[in-house]
Order: sequence, then structure tokens, then C-alpha cells
Amino acid sequence: MSPLHITLALSSCVAAFASLGLAMDRHYEDSYGRGKEPAARTRQAFRLIGTAGLLLSLWACVAAVGASQGWVFWFGVMTVSALAVVLLLSYAPRRTMRVLQGGAALALASGAWAALAR
Amino acid sequence: MKEGFRQSMAWLHTWSGLLVGWILFLIFAAGTSAYFREEISLWMKPELHQAPQATSLSQAQAADVAQQFMQTHAQGSNRWTITLPGEREPVISAFWPVPQAQQATPAPAGERRRQRFENATIDPATGERIAAPRQTRGGDFFYRLHFDLHYMPALWARWIVGFCAMFMLVAIVSGIVTHKRIFKDFFTFRPKKGQRSWLDAHNATAVLALPYHLMITYTGLVTLMFMYMPWGPQLAYKGDQQAFFSEVFPNGSRASLKPSGTPAPLVPLSGLVKQASDAWDGQPVLRVTVSNPGDANATIAVSQDNTRGVSSKQASMLFNGTTGELLERRGEALAPAAETHGVLYGLHIGRFANPFVRWLFFLSGLAGTVMVATGLLLWAVKERQKFAKGGRIGFGLRLVDGLNVAAVAGLPLAMAVFFWANRLIPASTAERSPLEITCFFAAWGVAAVAGIAWPARRMWQIQLAIGGLLFALLPVLNPLTGGAGLWTTIPQARWAIAGFDLTVLLLGLALLACAWWIGKRKAARQPAARATAAAPSRSANASPPAATEPGLVTARNPLNPSGATP
Repeated sequence: MSPLHITLALSSCVAAFASLGLAMDRHYEDSYGRGKEPAARTRQAFRLIGTAGLLLSLWACVAAVGASQGWVFWFGVMTVSALAVVLLLSYAPRRTMRVLQGGAALALASGAWAALAR
Repeated sequence: MKEGFRQSMAWLHTWSGLLVGWILFLIFAAGTSAYFREEISLWMKPELHQAPQATSLSQAQAADVAQQFMQTHAQGSNRWTITLPGEREPVISAFWPVPQAQQATPAPAGERRRQRFENATIDPATGERIAAPRQTRGGDFFYRLHFDLHYMPALWARWIVGFCAMFMLVAIVSGIVTHKRIFKDFFTFRPKKGQRSWLDAHNATAVLALPYHLMITYTGLVTLMFMYMPWGPQLAYKGDQQAFFSEVFPNGSRASLKPSGTPAPLVPLSGLVKQASDAWDGQPVLRVTVSNPGDANATIAVSQDNTRGVSSKQASMLFNGTTGELLERRGEALAPAAETHGVLYGLHIGRFANPFVRWLFFLSGLAGTVMVATGLLLWAVKERQKFAKGGRIGFGLRLVDGLNVAAVAGLPLAMAVFFWANRLIPASTAERSPLEITCFFAAWGVAAVAGIAWPARRMWQIQLAIGGLLFALLPVLNPLTGGAGLWTTIPQARWAIAGFDLTVLLLGLALLACAWWIGKRKAARQPAARATAAAPSRSANASPPAATEPGLVTARNPLNPSGATP
């Protein structure tokens, strides 16, 4: 298992959960101010990014250690990332978008690298 | 009707969780530490901290080194068990029963002599024994503790643990049913809101690590299923336990032949190790067991270190010890049922996990420990509200409060004491490892008695602070008592030792933060309690009691629910 795969799995998973969190009214309000609500299309985009991120993370896990261990790896990555996102949304909600962007950028970079290195 | 069902599930969740919660806390905490069993054992043997970090020898070469060592040091013993160097351990370790004739003192008349074993850690580069490390159970103590408990026959303990695991499974399933807003509250944690926060923390650690909780509880029962439900195999194998277990655990020990009495030289182990590893597609070898070495009836079992799949089933091969002929192959091409059992078992023990996945398991285990702890505290927090208006604190609540302190604050403290005892008891002390364990239970006993006698906020603070300090100072104690400190282990990238030090440092700081946080809450609530003293019912609603309340103080002074003296 390479550090590249670990980075990809974790960053895409954190970005995905941050995105899924922002698609929810409560967390969107916390991040952008009381009374704010995401537009229907924004919400859909958040959900789409979230789903894509989780799938990318699963791919990274399976690519890293094979199918049987990959699923175990993925569940572990999801648990840790989700706990991190819970802390983020509770204690620094205004940074959520930045974490989402940073995570997505890191995921794209490491994903591209992993794809090129194959 | 639906509401009724949910309520009955909530009731079931509460009681199934509470009744066995304290034992579950022990099982979770000790079991989680067992993911790093080897690393804990290494830390607890500072004599080995200077041992070689990696060996350039192949496993086959190391096997020959081990063979030479055993031929000079384990003369006359009827079984050698040799663990070859692998990814997590760079040295050879071996143990063998000491022949009766060589034992110093004869057995007292009428008593069955206990078989004495000797063990050695061998440097593969030199073929010499590495300074015999101190006698300690190391990480194996916690590993055993999490299903064999202590001070009782293992059989009873396993029934108790299985009973608790069954309750845990009930609590998980009923908890899922009770939790109406799993997805809506998926990321929700609302700090500083009393009971709400405890519930959120309980939910977050439960839901986010739910796959782990379900897996670990279920597979935990699977590891001992043949003890809990032996009837199937008994029927199918017509009572031949031996045959059954040799199929279930292909790398388990075999019944060995009787020695013939005719001496015969042993074949070199290296060839067999290489042959086995090649046949397994390059998978490394874990262990070599030689029965009746030097006898014509010698056999050699080589077992695999399965690093690829998840399954715990590790193949093994049996060779003739004098000719090197392959006698038997086991544990390959398993039947579906055996494969399933292997995967479930393997998931529980997590041996397959590489360091990163091992950390994920460890963190999930910690989440489980926190889940159990917050669940226990939540019960007390909820129950206390019934008394907030000034009733007398009931016996049940007092008992739960006391047991909560004893488990949640006392166990970490005792674990830290165990590590301190490991370093402070002189290495040459006779019967050293039982003494370490006595220290663990003595510390826990004192903490438990103190906690039950005086389950107050102050007691939480004291125990958490002591436990935290003891943990956080372990990295300082380590180099002072012969171990390798962080400033040598980090530059040399010796992560097994550095990882232990850093982890206990973080754990200690977390415990200290909890102690500090309890103190802060108390200080913050003191003026609040005074201000609202005129309206006690409102004060109870405005600031629902947090972790613990001193039961008796509250009873004496119902107007001041924080228990602080104004």
C-alpha cells in the first residue's frame, strides 16, 4: 500500500463527507450563516460530489490492497474521515468549504498521479 | 404502534447496554490495545530496544541460524517452536519445553509437575541470544484480559464475555432501531449542551464506526463459537474433536509421534522453509515447529504468515524431519464454510492489517470504547434529571455513578500503572510478571473502591488526572529505565517503539483534557447555580447535570445541583 493511495483514500473521503454535510440544511446554515439555504442545484451538486468522492475513495482502497482487504480499509477510512468531519462541522463550520476544496484538490492531484504511475 | 415498538427498543437498548456496559468497556479497551500487542510487548522489554531493526538474511537463512542455536541450547527437548523474522519482528524467537531430567528441583511428591518452558530471542545476524529480556506478559496480558478476564477459570470468563458480547449485539441492533435520525444527525455534534452533547457523542461514535462495531461484536462471538455451540461439529465429527480442530485451525499444533529412541540427524530447516514459501506463491513463513528433533520420528511443521487475504486460515505443511519428505498440506483450497469462518475470525484479530489499516482498526476500537463510556454516562445523566428537583438520589444511580468512575476513569489509570510497574519493578525480581499484573489489579481495585465510595465530580477529576499524568509521562520514563527514548527512536524511524510513546502521550493528554474540562465546567457552573438557586427547577433545565454529580451532596443541598459549595 503506497502513501499515495492512503492520501487519495483519505482526502477524497474527507472531501466527500464535507460535501455531504454541506448538502444538509443545518450544516449549511452553520457554515454560511443563519437562514441561508443551499439552492436546489447547489444541494444536488454537493450530493453528487459526495457520492463521487466516496466512490473514488473506495477505488483507492481496492487498488491499494485488493478487493478483500480493500473493503475493510474503506470502512475504516470512512469512519475516521466522518469523525473528522463531525469535529470540523461542530467546531469550525466556516472552514468546511475550504476543507472540501483542499481535500478535493489533494484527491485530484494524488488520483492523477496514481493514474499516471500505473 | 410504531412508537410503541420504538419505545420498547429504547428500553431494550438502555438496559442491555447498561447491565454489561462496564465489562464491555474493559473488553473494548483491552481488545483495542491488542491490535498493538507486539508493539506493547516490545516496549515492555526495554532490553530489546537496541536489538537489530531489520535483518538482511532471508527467512531460510534465519531458519538455519535458529536450528544451530537450538541444537546447542535446546538439547533433549522434544519440541522446538521457532518464529522466524517477519515484517513486524526483526528477530528470531523460540521456545521449547525443558526436559524433565534437566530441571533443577524434583517435583514435590504427589504433585503433577508443571511443564517448564524456556524461551530465547535470537539475533539472526550473530546467531546469539539477545540479552534475555525481563519477564513480562507484555501486550499479551491485555489480549488475554479481553476474553479470559483474570482470577477465574478461562472457561467461565469466556462464557461471561460471550454473554456480554451477545448483549452488545442486542444493544447495537436495538440502538439502530431507536435512533430515528441516523442520517439527519449523521454529522451532528452539539457541544456544551449537557445531555444533548452526551447523546450526540454517543451517537457519533456509534454510527460513524457502526460497521466496525457490528463486525467486531459478531466476529468476537465467532472466535469462540465452537465453545458456545459445539453441537454441530460434535455430531458431524462423531466426537472426534481433534480431527475437527485440525481442519478449522490448519496451523494449529498437531499430535506428534512418539519418539522412536533411535537418534537421527535433522534435515536443514532452510530447504523446507524455502520449499513451503515457494509452494505458497512466495508468502512468508511464520513459524516452524520441530517435534522430536534428533530422533528418527522427527516431524517439522511449517506454517504460513498470510499477508494477502483477510482470512485467519494460514496454511501449513508437515515434513518428515529426517528425510525432508512432504507428508501433508493443510489449509489450502478450503471449503466455503471454513473459508467464511477464516474470514470472520481474521477480521476480528486483524492480523492481516498493514500498519495503516491497523491504525484504522485501533481508532475504530477507541471510538467503540468512547461509545460504551458515553452510553454509561448518558444513563447517569438522564437518571439524575429525575432527582434534579430535589429528590433523594437513589441507590441505583449512586451505584451506576460509582461503577462509571471505576470503569471509565479507573481502568485507564490501572493500565498506566501496569506500564509503570513494568519499568519500576527490578528486572531480576522473581515471579515478576504476576507482580506486574497484581499492580494493575491493585491500582484498579483502589480506584474502583474510591470511585464507588465517593462518586463525585472531584473523584473523576482526580482519577482522570492521575491516569493522564501517568500515561503522558511514560515517554519520559522509557529512556530513564533503559528503553530507547523518542529522540533516538524517531530519527532512526523505529516506529514500533516511537509509536507506543506517542500514542500514550496523546492518550495521557486526552485524559488530562477531560480532567481539566470537568474542572472548567464546575467552575463555570458555580455562579450559575447560585444565580438560579431561587428557581431550582429552572436551573436544572437550563444546565442539565453533566458527567457526574456528587450524589450525597446533591441530596443534602437540593438547591445546588452542581454540588459546589457557594
